[in-house]
Amino acid sequence: MSRDAILGRIREALSVKTDAHVREVAKQSSHSLPVLANGPDGRTQAVKEFLPFVGESLEDHIAAFNVLSDKLQTEFIVVPTIDSARQTLDQLRQKHQWERVGIHDHELVQSCVDQLPVEFLNTSSNYDAHELEKCDVGISGCDALIAQTASALVTNHSAGGRALSVLPPHHVVVADASQMVTTMADGFAMIREKHHEKWPSFISFITGPSRTADIERVLVLGAHGPKKLTIIMISE
Amino acid sequence: MSQSTNPTTQFQTDANRVTADVDRRSFLRSSLRGYQTTRDATQERFLNYESARIAAGDAKWEAIENLDVYLAQFADKLEARGATVHWCSDSAEARDAILDIIKKHDAKSVIKSKCMTTEEIHLNDLLEKEGFEVVESDLGEFIVQLRDEAPYHFVFPAMHLKKEEINTLFQEKLKSINTDDPEELTMVAREVLRQKYLSADIGISGANFGVAETGMISITENEGNARLTTSLPKVHIALMGIEKIIPRLEDLALMLPMLATAGTGQHLTCYNSQLGGPRQDDESDGPVEMHVVLLDNHRTRLLADPEQRDALRCIRCGACLNVCPIFKNVGGHTYGTTYQGPIGSVITPHLRGLKDWKHLSHSSSLCGACSETCPVKIDLHHHLLRNRRDAAGKGQGGLAERTLMLGFTIVMRRPWLYRLTGRLGKLGHVLTKPIHGTRIDPFYAWKKTRDLDDPAKQSFKQYWKSRK
Repeated sequence: MSRDAILGRIREALSVKTDAHVREVAKQSSHSLPVLANGPDGRTQAVKEFLPFVGESLEDHIAAFNVLSDKLQTEFIVVPTIDSARQTLDQLRQKHQWERVGIHDHELVQSCVDQLPVEFLNTSSNYDAHELEKCDVGISGCDALIAQTASALVTNHSAGGRALSVLPPHHVVVADASQMVTTMADGFAMIREKHHEKWPSFISFITGPSRTADIERVLVLGAHGPKKLTIIMISE
Repeated sequence: MSQSTNPTTQFQTDANRVTADVDRRSFLRSSLRGYQTTRDATQERFLNYESARIAAGDAKWEAIENLDVYLAQFADKLEARGATVHWCSDSAEARDAILDIIKKHDAKSVIKSKCMTTEEIHLNDLLEKEGFEVVESDLGEFIVQLRDEAPYHFVFPAMHLKKEEINTLFQEKLKSINTDDPEELTMVAREVLRQKYLSADIGISGANFGVAETGMISITENEGNARLTTSLPKVHIALMGIEKIIPRLEDLALMLPMLATAGTGQHLTCYNSQLGGPRQDDESDGPVEMHVVLLDNHRTRLLADPEQRDALRCIRCGACLNVCPIFKNVGGHTYGTTYQGPIGSVITPHLRGLKDWKHLSHSSSLCGACSETCPVKIDLHHHLLRNRRDAAGKGQGGLAERTLMLGFTIVMRRPWLYRLTGRLGKLGHVLTKPIHGTRIDPFYAWKKTRDLDDPAKQSFKQYWKSRK
C-alpha cells in the first residue's frame, strides 16, 4: 500500500540523523537574542513574546485593533449597547441600500437584526448558494476578535456556515467585548474549549476585506470575497 | 521557455534574453523594492523578529524530524472526520487519484485555487486533455492561465506583466472593456469567476500547512478564492506535499504571521482558514466529500539527505526570490522549474535529478541574502554550495570544469609552475588587451561584460620578500 510505502521511505530516510552543523545553524542567532525552549509550549510563548505587543487591557486591545483596522480598511465600530448596534446596522442599511440580508441562527446576530426592514436569508440550515450570492450583505457572529492581528475568528458554527462570510459583497461581524483576546493562539484555545476537540470543519481568521495586488502591486479590495468588512463590537 | 531543449541551455538562453531586457528588469526591481519596504515596516512591529524566526524554524524541524509520526497522525485524524486521504508516491499516482475522483462524480467543471503542487504534477494539462474545464481562480494564476504561461513567481504569479498587457489579454480572451485600471481589471475577473464558483462540481486547492494534532489543512490567501473553492463545490480535493506538516494547531499562531510577513509584508494575510473534513452532520454547507492527496514525488529522497533535509522546512513564502539578485535579473521563467529562485535551485536537483538541474546551483552569487531573509532559517546558499560539491563529486562537473580543476591542482602543487603561470598570465593580459571582450578573446564568455584591472606590479611573494 502507498501509505506504508511512503511512511517506510520516511522512516528509512530519518534513520540517518540530521547533520549537526546544519541543525546548529538554524538555531544560531547573530544577535544573541533570547531563544525559547523547543516544543509547542515554547512556540505558544513565542507568539506572546516575539510577535507585536498589543498591551494587556481591553482598552489597549481595542486601540491596537483600531490602528490595524485602519490600515486594513476594516470598518471597526465600537458601540456601547445592543440597542446602539441595532441603530448602527440600520444606518449601514440605509447607507448601502441593503434589501436582502444573509443571517444565521446566532443569538447576538438575531437580536441585532430583528428590526431591520429587509428580506432575510438564513444559512443555518440548507440554503441555496445562488440566493446567498444575491444578498447585499452577510451578517455573522464570531468566536473571537484577535487584538494582535485585528482579525475576526470564525467557524461554521459562529458564522452561519462557510459561505455567509465570504460570498456576499459586504460582511458584517457582530461581537461582544468579552470576545477580545490577545493572540491567535488564545483564539485557538477558545475554540478548543468550546468544542472539546469536536472541531468544526471550518475555522478562519478574517483579517480585512478581500484584497489582491496581483496587477502591478496595486491594492484592490474585493478580489473574490467581500469588498467591505465591518466589525461591530458591543462594549457593555 | 522552450521545453524541448535541455534545462541548462534553456536557462542560459533565457537568462541572456531577460537580462538584456532592461525595461522589464527595472519594472521587476521596482515592484520588489515595494515589497521590501512593506516587509521591513511589518518586521519592525515584532518585539523580536530574529527569535521568532528561530521559533518558527523549530516548529518545522520538529515536524520534519518526526515526519512519519506526524503524517500518520494527520491522516488518521482527517479520516476519522470523514475525509479520504490518498497517498501518492509520484506525480502519476497523484494525477490518477485526482482524475478518478473527478470521473466518479461525473464532473464537468473544476475550479482551482492557487496550488503550486498542481503545477509540479502538471495537473491542468491532464484535466484539459481529458476534456474538463479547469479554471484558476487566483487572479494572478487566472492571468497566466489565459496567457498559457507558467507562474512567474510562486507567490506573485503575474508579477512580470504590466497592466496594459493584462488589458490587451482580457479584451482578447474575455471580450472585456478597454481599461488598464487595476481595479477595473480585477472586477472583470471577479465577475467572470463568480459564476464559475457557483457552477463548478469540483474545487481543487493546495495547503500551506497540515496540522497533525487535529487533522486539518490550513490555507493562506488574500482574495477569498480559496474559501469559495472549498465552500461551494460539492467535492473538495486538496493536494499537499508531505512536508507541509506542523505538529500542533497553536503552531499556526506563529507560522501564519511569519508566512505573511515574509511572503508579502502583510502582518497577516486576509483569510487563514483551517479545514478539517467535509461538511459535518451539524453543519449547513460545505463540500459533501473532502479528499486530501498527499504527494511524495521525491521529497523522501531529499529527506534522506542529512544535510539538506533542512530545505523541506520551507513554507513557500517566496521571500528568498524577492531578495535574490539572480532572480531580479533573470526572472522567474528562466529557471524552468515549478519553484523558482534560491529555494527552487536547492530542491529541484533533488526532486528532478542533479544531472539536469545542477546548473541552478551556479545561478547564485552566494551572497547569502536568501538565508538571511528565510523566515524559518533554511541555510539556502550553503545548500547551493553542497549541490555544487555533490555534482562535482559525481563527476558531473562537465569537461571544462574538470579540465580547469585538474590544471589548477597541477599548478598549485608546483611552486615553479605557479610562478611561471603568474608571469604568463600577466603577459597574456597585456597581449589580449586590444581584443578584450571581443569574439576572438579566449576569455570572451567572461570578459564580454567585465573589465579586468591590470595586475599589481609586484606579486605578493615579491612584496613579502621585500618586507624582510
